[in-house]
Amino acid sequence: MNLPPDEKPPVFNSWRSWYVLVIGFLAGLIVFFYFFTKYFS
Amino acid sequence: MSVIDWIVLVVTLLSIILYGLYKSREEKNLENYFLLNRSSSWLLILLGIIGTQASAVTFLSAPGQSYTDGMRFVQYYFGLPLAMVILCVTFVPVFHKLKLFTAYQFLEERFDGKTRTFTALLFLLQRGLSTGISISAPSIILSSLLGWNILWTNMLMGGLLIIYTFTGGAKAVAYTQQVQFVIIFAGMFMAGYMVVHLLPGDVGLSDALHIGGRAGKLNVITSGRTDEKFQWNDRYNIWSGLIGGFFLQLSYFGTDQSQVGRYLTAKSTRESRLSLLLNGLVKVPMQFSILLLGVLVFAYYQYAREPLFFNQTQLDLLSKTKYADSLKIVMKEYEHLQDEKIEQMKPGNEPQAEQRMRQGLTMQFVQKRQTELRKTIQRWLKDKEVNGDPNDTNYIFLRFVIDHLPKGLIGLLIAVIFLSAWGSIAASLNSLSSSTMNDLHKRWVKKPMEPVKEFRVSQYYTLFWGIFCVVVAQLAYNIGNSLIEAVNVLGSLFYGVILGIFLVAFYFKKISATPVFYSAVVVELFVIAIHLLNQNGIVNISFLWLNAIGALGVILLSLVIQRFRIIPGTSLVNTKT
Repeated sequence: MNLPPDEKPPVFNSWRSWYVLVIGFLAGLIVFFYFFTKYFS
Repeated sequence: MSVIDWIVLVVTLLSIILYGLYKSREEKNLENYFLLNRSSSWLLILLGIIGTQASAVTFLSAPGQSYTDGMRFVQYYFGLPLAMVILCVTFVPVFHKLKLFTAYQFLEERFDGKTRTFTALLFLLQRGLSTGISISAPSIILSSLLGWNILWTNMLMGGLLIIYTFTGGAKAVAYTQQVQFVIIFAGMFMAGYMVVHLLPGDVGLSDALHIGGRAGKLNVITSGRTDEKFQWNDRYNIWSGLIGGFFLQLSYFGTDQSQVGRYLTAKSTRESRLSLLLNGLVKVPMQFSILLLGVLVFAYYQYAREPLFFNQTQLDLLSKTKYADSLKIVMKEYEHLQDEKIEQMKPGNEPQAEQRMRQGLTMQFVQKRQTELRKTIQRWLKDKEVNGDPNDTNYIFLRFVIDHLPKGLIGLLIAVIFLSAWGSIAASLNSLSSSTMNDLHKRWVKKPMEPVKEFRVSQYYTLFWGIFCVVVAQLAYNIGNSLIEAVNVLGSLFYGVILGIFLVAFYFKKISATPVFYSAVVVELFVIAIHLLNQNGIVNISFLWLNAIGALGVILLSLVIQRFRIIPGTSLVNTKT
């Protein structure tokens, strides 16, 4: 199926940057939660 | 409830209904009724997506969950951001390009009519029953805590929203969800502020977190390993969240019409993608905050009288059984324990470090004995002669609200329960009606209809599903707790298979319609069989893994049938793509 070209996303130049942001943010949260758990246990 | 609470509750609910009706005055055709004329902005869709996923049980259960089991439930959502990325790369551009009304319409484009019908029927069965339960669960809690009649509570919970969903369709659903979101989060923020405010003067937020941490409630990350072995039946750990949760969320957001219907209303692919990616950013922190509220309530109860069992009606039930005398003895010991705890937790003249140690030891001792007493109560409630509900997790937060929060805020938080239920149920009714009309009615009834007639028929389907869900809610109450527990895992029974069909459609271009159809039927029966074996203790596996089993099962079996052409009629290549 031929898909139309991607529309430009806001803030970044490509959607790939948005995907990296979402996955990176999740990784950051998991690291934060890990230390949060350690600190308060 | 006081008069002020009633006024706040009634005014809030009436305002939402009137606002929904006000937003309903539009042109009468299917495109507008189900898809808002494909004109939504990313913000409207984002709030719709959040409002559809977060039902009343989310706000009632989550704080209770962290109160009893700690915050590890947040890991359940770790797969969500990953699923959002996959959806934006694969599903969203195709759905928009084809200008679909429902997700299942894509399956006819890619495979054939019977695969579309089968998947739509799985969706209608699963969504219809689970919507009934999402009416029933908060109604049971409210009627139990406030003494309301269950039929009337079900009617209010599931019936009033039908007025604007019937009239205004997707537009009324989207705009009311926007207002509901603001009220819900204002209410939850005020509740959080009040919990911290109610703590003794010298106990701050940091102290409350330390109390939660010492009691093991801040276990946000867990590995699922005990005794050097991974526990497959452990529901919430980082792996079940990332892997099982990923399949569940991908299926829910990619193939459940109640969610797909929200982002199909977007004016462009860009708006859909943006709303899903922002959902991936905000969902985990949002869920973390709601769970943290439960830990703060736990910290509060270390300085105040904590109910032995949060569902008072169950204690009343026990007091009329053979356990009545034993219950009195347990209650007496518990009261004594509470007096001792409150005395010990009072700040003394000793240095802070010693004070913390004393309080920590007191908390550990009280918790241990309290857990033993609670287990005794639960054992009695499980007795077949009593036939009670041994789980009071869903009652913890609302019981705290009713017992300790000021007048007015109680009414607002009960309104929050109604609004969160309405947001989710309204989106479900709209999607059930859309799938019935587009995937079944329009394909089976060949006679062409005027746009206004199509609109009217769709309204009647909305009404039908609204009544169906209220009836299911009432039946769920009559049948009892076992049905509610069964329907909680209902999504995982069907989502995996539905996702498997869609993954084959997107990623396995050489697989044709016949293999995927028969694979879906066989794997669905297999998943149900595993669930039944699980229920009877023959296998022991968390329900989240059923999503992965269903999805991977359909893919693998389709590949085998296609490769060896086991089923007659399997074409060598798919001719529809």
